[in-house]
Amino acid sequence: MSEHDDWLAQAVEVLREPVRIDPALDRRVMAEIERGPAPDRPGWREVLRRPFGGQLAVTSPLGGLALAAAVALGALVGRTWLAPDSTEPPSTLGTMAASVAEAVQFVIVVPGATSVVLVGDFNDWSRTATPMRPADGDGVWAATVPLEAGRYRYAFLIDGTRWLTDPSAPRSLDDDFGPPNSVVTVGAT
Amino acid sequence: MRRITRWTIALVGAVTVGSASAHAQEPRLEGRIPEPARQTIDLLLDSARARGLPTEPLVDRALEGAIKGAPGDRIVAAVRRLAGELETARAVLGDASAAEELIAGASALRAGADPDALAELRRARPAQSLTVATSVLADLVAVGVPVDTAVSAVLSLATGAEDADYIAFRRNVERDVALGASPVAALGVRLDAVAAEADLGTGAGRTVAAPRKP
Amino acid sequence: MNRQSDAALVRRVLAGDTGAYGELVARYRDRLGRYAMRMLGNEADAEEALQDAFVRGYRSLHRCTEPERFGAWLFAIMVNRCRTLGAQRARRQRTVVHDEGILARAAVADTAERHAWRETIAWALRQITPAHREAFLLKHVEELSYEEMVEVTGASVPALKMRVMRAREELRRLLTEGERV
Repeated sequence: MSEHDDWLAQAVEVLREPVRIDPALDRRVMAEIERGPAPDRPGWREVLRRPFGGQLAVTSPLGGLALAAAVALGALVGRTWLAPDSTEPPSTLGTMAASVAEAVQFVIVVPGATSVVLVGDFNDWSRTATPMRPADGDGVWAATVPLEAGRYRYAFLIDGTRWLTDPSAPRSLDDDFGPPNSVVTVGAT
Repeated sequence: MRRITRWTIALVGAVTVGSASAHAQEPRLEGRIPEPARQTIDLLLDSARARGLPTEPLVDRALEGAIKGAPGDRIVAAVRRLAGELETARAVLGDASAAEELIAGASALRAGADPDALAELRRARPAQSLTVATSVLADLVAVGVPVDTAVSAVLSLATGAEDADYIAFRRNVERDVALGASPVAALGVRLDAVAAEADLGTGAGRTVAAPRKP
Repeated sequence: MNRQSDAALVRRVLAGDTGAYGELVARYRDRLGRYAMRMLGNEADAEEALQDAFVRGYRSLHRCTEPERFGAWLFAIMVNRCRTLGAQRARRQRTVVHDEGILARAAVADTAERHAWRETIAWALRQITPAHREAFLLKHVEELSYEEMVEVTGASVPALKMRVMRAREELRRLLTEGERV
């Protein structure tokens, strides 16, 4: 400890020493977990839209270093390029029960419109996902969408150019982009 | 002396090679968001993901900006703002909150609700989802109820109301406002009605609202 | 023995195999425990924060959208738990700190043993603010990049650099000036 600059190296060396935690902690954790609720099941959107396909062949907690190094070198290693881990059991994602969705009907009256599209948080704000259909009545358009519990913002796009909110729905307070939105809230069934 | 071994929090987003980013990309944004903004948003998504925040609402916000033709920097600002609100919502609603609770909670925060109020709501309804309660809070503010009044109303209903009761309550207030009542008056009338039903019912002081037919 | 990846275990847990989480706990217990020990300064608090982090990790596991990065995801939860627990403890222990300081200085003066040096370092870490301590540990002990520290703490790079610098200055003063006694 006589070197002025050595203090950091020596302190860090000590601090990096491994720590042994009493393995009894594992039992306490598992006991507490078993007393409580299971992890919430992911919604169907989360499950289907995990952005990375394929599975990373990680054989140790340090294995992630290999990926980071590969990426840092600019190698074109997208996650989908990595070989599936052959020791893994078949994915059980497909057998997980999806959460229950409720059919929600959207209706709007727009006399004289040639096309009305429903866009919102539930369909990636896509102008093609949910075209509305003319229903009974003059200028009445309708669409039905399955929605799980949650709060969704949406709006109607008229003739590809004009935005309308839903007069029968609460207004969204988000003012991020100008044209305002409507809100639909679906409770858990 | 430096140890080579380290376990990695692989924030691949921090690494850019030339003009192509080597980090994870959200495919749905490709072609819909102008380029510099899209890369920034991918970084924000990586960061949110690493912190365990839901990324779907952030992607949705970006896509909304895209379809509404907003400039890239405005989309980035909106995504960043929402990420912050989701993080705050999680801080007060708890790590075990579901994504839809955080999304609705973020809306309540956007409406001006005090984060402490959301924490109190969680304490009042520890076992139930807060999605509808916080969503209704935001909706009441949207119809003109001052935010603190809306917070009080939602909290006063918290111990007895089911989700359907919250939605019915909100519908009634909105209908009254549409018919010409002031938002605060409409709220007050409906709260009194709920309290009266509770007195007539169990008489135990719990706030119980009977579901109303439209 | 077929050692399953973190991602495989996470998916098993989400599919209903709760017991598989025990394997993840065993894998990360010591690693996360080291950070908690250095951050909180004693084993009891570290174990409490550790248990808390693991349980929260389980309950919110569906939000770990990249199961292969489970360790990183869990570490962020751990950093958060240590902050919360540290803040709670600090409120109750403010009067004790300077007494420990006297004892630690005495130990340094009496002996050059490695054990005493460890105690001194632990004492020095306790003297600096939690924010500085956290930044110092993440940078120098956990060896995260600043970008990674942003992810885990939510602070900005300039703020983190400032904290690390301050931490180093304070620790240098605490750990080198004692020798002149």
